[in-house]
Amino acid sequence: MTRLAINGLGKTYADGTEALRDIHIVAQSGEIVAILGGSGRGKTTLLRLTAGLDRPSAGVISIDGRAIDGQAASGTHPAISAVFQEPRLLPWLTVGRNIAFGGRRIARPERQRRVADLLARIGLAGYGARWPKDLSGGQQQRVAVARALIGHPEILLLDEPFSALDAFTRGSLHEMLLSLWQELRPTILIVTHDVEEAVFLADRIVVMRPRPGRVYETMTIRLPRPRNKLTSEYDVARRDVLRAIDRSLASEGASGLWSGAVSPWV
Amino acid sequence: MNVTTTATPPPLEGGGVVTVAAVRLRHYLTALIVPVALAVAWEIAVRAGVAPGRLMPPPSRLLHTAIALAASGELQTHVAATMTRVVIGFGVGAVAGTLFGMLTGASETARRLLDPSIQALRAVPSIAWVPIFILWLGIFETSKLALIALGVFFPVYLGVLSAIQGVDRKLIEVGRVFGLSQVGIMLRITWPAVLPIWIASLRSGLGLGFMFVVAAELMGASEGLGYLLLDGQQMGRADIILVAMIVFALLGKASDGVLVAVTRPLVRWQDTVRERL
Repeated sequence: MTRLAINGLGKTYADGTEALRDIHIVAQSGEIVAILGGSGRGKTTLLRLTAGLDRPSAGVISIDGRAIDGQAASGTHPAISAVFQEPRLLPWLTVGRNIAFGGRRIARPERQRRVADLLARIGLAGYGARWPKDLSGGQQQRVAVARALIGHPEILLLDEPFSALDAFTRGSLHEMLLSLWQELRPTILIVTHDVEEAVFLADRIVVMRPRPGRVYETMTIRLPRPRNKLTSEYDVARRDVLRAIDRSLASEGASGLWSGAVSPWV
Repeated sequence: MNVTTTATPPPLEGGGVVTVAAVRLRHYLTALIVPVALAVAWEIAVRAGVAPGRLMPPPSRLLHTAIALAASGELQTHVAATMTRVVIGFGVGAVAGTLFGMLTGASETARRLLDPSIQALRAVPSIAWVPIFILWLGIFETSKLALIALGVFFPVYLGVLSAIQGVDRKLIEVGRVFGLSQVGIMLRITWPAVLPIWIASLRSGLGLGFMFVVAAELMGASEGLGYLLLDGQQMGRADIILVAMIVFALLGKASDGVLVAVTRPLVRWQDTVRERL
C-alpha cells in the first residue's frame, strides 16, 4: 500500500534559487527509502517540504492518497514525525520529558509507559530525570529518535540524523533504529550522504543529482534483514550504488569518484 | 605481570559537601576583602587626622549612627517605605515589560506598531518624567510608583523582545513538526527559551528600580531612604547620608540575591560556564 507519494515536487526560493525540480518518490507502507547524494542536491529541502516546514512551489505530497497542505503538515497529520541532523532536544526538559514531548496526544499513563519502554530500548534506562546537557551527542540523538517514535508515527523523516556521530556510535544507532522499525513498522524517508548507511538501512535508494535537485536513479536493495556488511551480496549492492553515483556524476560532466584508478572502493 | 594497577585512594567522607561549602565561604570572604580594607583604611585615616571626620565620618561613627537610627525605629520606617515602593513599582514594571515584550516579540504587526514609540520613550531621560508625573498623578505615592515602574519596564521589555527574536529557529521547528499550535509554541518553546534572558532583564530592572526609587523619593517624600539622604544633606549630616547609601547597597544586593535564588530552579537546565565552575 502506498503510504507516502511525492508527485512533481519543486521548490524555488524567494531569491530565485531552484532547490528541487519535478521530484517523484513513492514509499510503501513500512518501507525504508533513502535519499542519497552529496550537498546541493536538495535532500534536506525535500525532507523539510515533506515535514511541512516549508511550502512547495510545485507538486503535491500525499499521505494515504490525501494531499497534505504545504505548511504545518505534521500539525494536521500527526502520523508524521522527524529526527533532524542535530538532536534538537529541548534543553529545559529532562530526557524523559523530551521523549514524552513527541507523544503529547497520548494519554498520560500510556505515555509514561512508552517513555520508560523507549528509554530501556535506547539503552538509557535510568536517564529519564537527567538534562540533555548531561548526555553525549550519541545519547542525545538516541533520545531524539525515541521522541520521534513515541507517537508510533506512520511516517518517520530522518535528515542525516547520524552524520555527526563517530562510526561506532553510528553503527549502534543503525541497529537501534532497525530494531524499533521492525517493531513499529513506520515508513521511513532518510536523507543521507553516506552510501554505507543507505545500503544498510534502505529498501530503496533514490540517487539525487544537483542544481536543482532531481531524482537521477532509484535502486532497490534486495538484501535480506538483518544485513551482514561482510557478505559478498552486501558488497555487490554497495558497489551498485557507488556505480550509480558515478553515473550521476558523469551525467553532470564530472569525473567519477569511485570508479577511478585511485579509488579503493570498487 | 604485564599489567600494573595503581590503587585509587578512597574519597574523604563528606568531602564533596565540605568542598562546595568551603568554596562558597571563600567567595564570600573574598568579596569582603575590599570593603573591609577600605573601611579600616578610612577609620585609620580619620583617627590619624589625615581625613576630615565631619565630611567623611569613619565606619565606627557610621555604625553608631545606624544603631541610633535603628533603635529609634526611624531606619526601619524608611527601609519599609522604600522597599514597598520598589516591590510594587518593580512588580508593575516587570509585568508590563514582560507582556509588551512578548506581544511585540511574537507579533510582527505589534512590533511595527509599538516598538518605535517605546524605543523613543526609552530615550527620554528618567528625571524628565518627574515633573509630568507629579502634574498628572500628584505628589504622593502614585507618581513615585509610576516612575519606578517606568524604570523597570524598559530593560524587561527590551530583554524579552530581543530574547524572543533570538530563539533558535530549529527549536521552533521541533514544535511545528510535533504539531504544536502557535500558542503552544509560544508557551512550550519560546517562553522557556526566553527565561534566562528574562531573568537577567529582571535583575537589570530591579537595579534600575532602586535607582528610580531614589529619584522618586527625592521629589517630595516624607519617608524612605531617598528622603533620609535628602534629610542628611539638609542637616549637614554626612553620616546619615552614608548610612542611607550603605543600606541602599545592602538592600539592592539582598534583593538581587533573593531574585536569583527564586529564579534559579527555572534555569537549572542551562549548560553554562557558571554551572560548570
